[in-house]
Amino acid sequence: MTTTVTTSVTAPTGRPRPAGVPRERRRATLLRWCFVAPAALYMLAFFGYPLVRNILMSFQHYSPRTYFTGEAPFNGLDNWRGVFDNPLFAQSLWHTLVFTFGSLLGQFVLGLALAVFFSRRFRLSGFVRAVLLLPWLVPMVVSAVVWRKLLDQETGVLNTLLMDLHLTSSAIPWLSSPNVALFAAILVNVWIGIPFNMVILYGGLQEIPRDLYEAAALDGAGAWRTFRSLTLPLLRPVVTVVLILGFMSTVKILDLILALTGGGPADSTQTLGTLTYQLSFQQLDFGQGAVVGNVLVLVSAVFAVLYLRANRSDFGQGK
Amino acid sequence: MPTRALPVPGTPRRAGSTVAALAVLVVLLFPLYWMLNIALQPGESLAATRWLPTTAGWDNFQRALSSQGGSLATSLVVALGAVVVCLALAAPAAYALAQFGLRSGRAIVFATLITQMVPGIVIANALYSAYVELGLVNSTLGLILADASLGLPFSIVLLRAFMVSIPREVVEAALVDGANRFTAFVRIVLPMSRNALITAGLFTFLFAWSDFMFALTLNTTDDVKPITLSMYEYIGAHVSDWGAVMATAVVSAVPAAILLVLAQKYVAAGITGGSVK
Amino acid sequence: MPFLRRRPPAPTLILTALLAASGLVGCAEVPDPGTITVLNSATDTHEHDEEQKFFDRCAKPLGVRVRQTSVPADQVASKALRMASSHSLTDILELDGSELPQFADTGGLVPLADAGVDVTGMSEGAVSMGSFRGTSYGIARSVNSLALIYNADLLREAGVEPPTTWDELKAAAKKLTRGRTFGMAFSATPDADGVYQFLPFFWSTGGDEARLDDGKGAPALQLWKDLVTSKSASSAVVTWNQQDVNDQFIAGRAAMMINGPWQVPVLSAQKNVTWEVAPVPVPEAGRPPVPPIGGTVMALPRTGDSGRQRTAAKIVNCLNEERNQVAWGEAVYNVPTRTAASAAYKDQNPKLGAFADQVATARSRTGRVGARWPVVSDALSGAFQSVLTGRATPDNALKQAQSRATAGK
Repeated sequence: MTTTVTTSVTAPTGRPRPAGVPRERRRATLLRWCFVAPAALYMLAFFGYPLVRNILMSFQHYSPRTYFTGEAPFNGLDNWRGVFDNPLFAQSLWHTLVFTFGSLLGQFVLGLALAVFFSRRFRLSGFVRAVLLLPWLVPMVVSAVVWRKLLDQETGVLNTLLMDLHLTSSAIPWLSSPNVALFAAILVNVWIGIPFNMVILYGGLQEIPRDLYEAAALDGAGAWRTFRSLTLPLLRPVVTVVLILGFMSTVKILDLILALTGGGPADSTQTLGTLTYQLSFQQLDFGQGAVVGNVLVLVSAVFAVLYLRANRSDFGQGK
Repeated sequence: MPTRALPVPGTPRRAGSTVAALAVLVVLLFPLYWMLNIALQPGESLAATRWLPTTAGWDNFQRALSSQGGSLATSLVVALGAVVVCLALAAPAAYALAQFGLRSGRAIVFATLITQMVPGIVIANALYSAYVELGLVNSTLGLILADASLGLPFSIVLLRAFMVSIPREVVEAALVDGANRFTAFVRIVLPMSRNALITAGLFTFLFAWSDFMFALTLNTTDDVKPITLSMYEYIGAHVSDWGAVMATAVVSAVPAAILLVLAQKYVAAGITGGSVK
Repeated sequence: MPFLRRRPPAPTLILTALLAASGLVGCAEVPDPGTITVLNSATDTHEHDEEQKFFDRCAKPLGVRVRQTSVPADQVASKALRMASSHSLTDILELDGSELPQFADTGGLVPLADAGVDVTGMSEGAVSMGSFRGTSYGIARSVNSLALIYNADLLREAGVEPPTTWDELKAAAKKLTRGRTFGMAFSATPDADGVYQFLPFFWSTGGDEARLDDGKGAPALQLWKDLVTSKSASSAVVTWNQQDVNDQFIAGRAAMMINGPWQVPVLSAQKNVTWEVAPVPVPEAGRPPVPPIGGTVMALPRTGDSGRQRTAAKIVNCLNEERNQVAWGEAVYNVPTRTAASAAYKDQNPKLGAFADQVATARSRTGRVGARWPVVSDALSGAFQSVLTGRATPDNALKQAQSRATAGK
């Protein structure tokens, strides 16, 4: 209920005089920055510093020896050349994009459908909505392990079920065919992402004033038209938040794929995230790993800028 | 007070909806049921798991609790600590961004977004060397500070969206009454943002609770070992004890589940706040 | 009006919490002179406790204690590197044999001879596993290898003898495949598990990890491919790690499997599966099997503290006394590396004789390619994965693998 405190309570009290003396104004500005400074400093330390370090590292010969001697000679573009010459890189980039957009599409559509569905009032609606968030609480390492068992071609429950119901005549190679594995990984990630999407979109739906719907109903708009021309536009700022945050967390995903398929079969689920892990921590070529990490940040930034340009008004503006 | 929203009109087909909702529940929660099922079945072979734990045994849970109890406590301390740090940093920043009309506000929000793009592995690696210098390796505080980073950008975005809708006049009235910006923020803005704070706190708790990367990277001894890491170690050993792993997973989800249920009613209200006008 | 309610100001709470938390800050690592530290992968509780028993046994006479830090096997290398960068490396570093060359290459390990650790009397494969460019840096107490483990009941019912050659293997696997049970199971995951299982086939047909494209290894790829295309083995082998393979075997879904002695405790706990061990089949009768040797080696990092290093070396020597090796081997179901200890072990564990015999001829993964092994291993796994999923012929796959293994070199 605190979300909708009305202005009428306090509006008549009047406004303070703006500070007249420049020094006072400067002091006020300083005070305002004091609110931002701790968070800004923290972010510089915990995000800025690692990012800069990673960019530097991608131009260095950073090997296991570096950890012992502390020496990491600069080697120009060698790491970048090495990564771009690696045929796995282009494949991984493609898989990353397919995985990200596939996951987002599935999570968002299903999340929105569930959010709309649970906005209706019916028995047990609140309970079911709360319980649906449970998958979110399970660490991803564990989810992936359970799913690996569920999707096992020979003994997995999913195939057993499909075959017992005669929906398919032969076992589906969920994780063992290069043509299916990426799809299976998307399926699992959609499952993981539904709760997050549902919660935020549901919250957004609750904010749309009811009288607008009543007006739409008076105008004789059907359910679908109301949804398209009323709900969706009003929900757009929330949609932007969901999609941007979803994109950024999906594009760099690592633990899920590592635990589910390890990048296989035949590299068909190798993404930029798994590639940077493989280069850095299995081949211990930290310079090349850093290159892929940088590419990942770059991909993310490009899409964020494009999306924000298209939806300028939704994000990052004050009142 | 405006009426609370009821977004989708139409005649509620109540029984039908409930049945449909339960069907969705069954499908989406099946993997979790399977987790529980494995945890309840004694025996070593996952390939032969039965549909129902007919000979349910709680041995796995007993083992899980006795061996993982310490890690659960560590996780709890670390996640709660991360929530405190995160909110302490995010709330003032979000307020300033929402209300002061700082000229660089947009740039800062964009910077917040950029932070979301840096892969965790990159952060963890860089932090390690900095932590060594600062003596924060193998410390609870170090892990708390790192885990706070998981929720900070999200919390700032969420709180800012909420605080935009707090009428400026409310705060200004307090200023007239002699309060300074800071006390006004503490006495008025924070209580008004309760829902959003709880939501941001909950998300941060969940992010920190499921953190694995920082726990793995920032510790060189077993002194500070959260539940995710100790679970990963179970899985990592040659001969895996699946029943115990799943029992641990179930046990590990319980504190988070309780918290979620408690915070549930604030979440919907706090999640978007004023971003829709 | 909720916002008029008085509450304790949040910053005070936060400050208190932070102060409380700062009390938990760990002290800077000051090495305790009475404690020798070890980094290993013994995360399994049973294994961890067993390790501790042996460490205690050897450390007590020296008046010191041993403290283990155990992390998952695939994290040991990166954790050790991080420790190295902060000068907090443990006194004893227990690495997987395949990771040793990379560490030795950094110059961060002490040659065992300099430290006073003796490796004479160890099997050739074990010494090779701990060596880099002719110098011993790591010592293995026990090693494992791979063998063919079969379900004796299923073989008897089908009237099949344990296969010794590839042709027999294919025929037996086909005959044993019935209903939902496959004749054969093996691990072909794109990681260390899959590569480890591929090596006995690859090597025994003459394959060379330093020259993947010389054509000699192709028949091994063809064998795996044949087993899968004839449906004698599931196409899901590309997703099964060695643990999954064991799961399938225990559930009666595979009549034979390739696996290692570390599965013995799990297998022995099964009441309804009678299992036996035989050597991995060879291409033709009369050829010797060439199984891979696996396991961990103990190395001594250069910590700059010669006193601690001497103590650590004494502990390592003690752990490798014949008596301790045999007892350790029995505890973890691996084969002792001292030739004499191995013989004693075989006498006491006849059922595991096949493993003990394998180890005598087993070959180290890093013997030929040294520190390049991770790249080569990656290339090899790419080869069998693309063949098994029908994306390449054996010859093409090996050509691609060779270019992948040498890219940027």
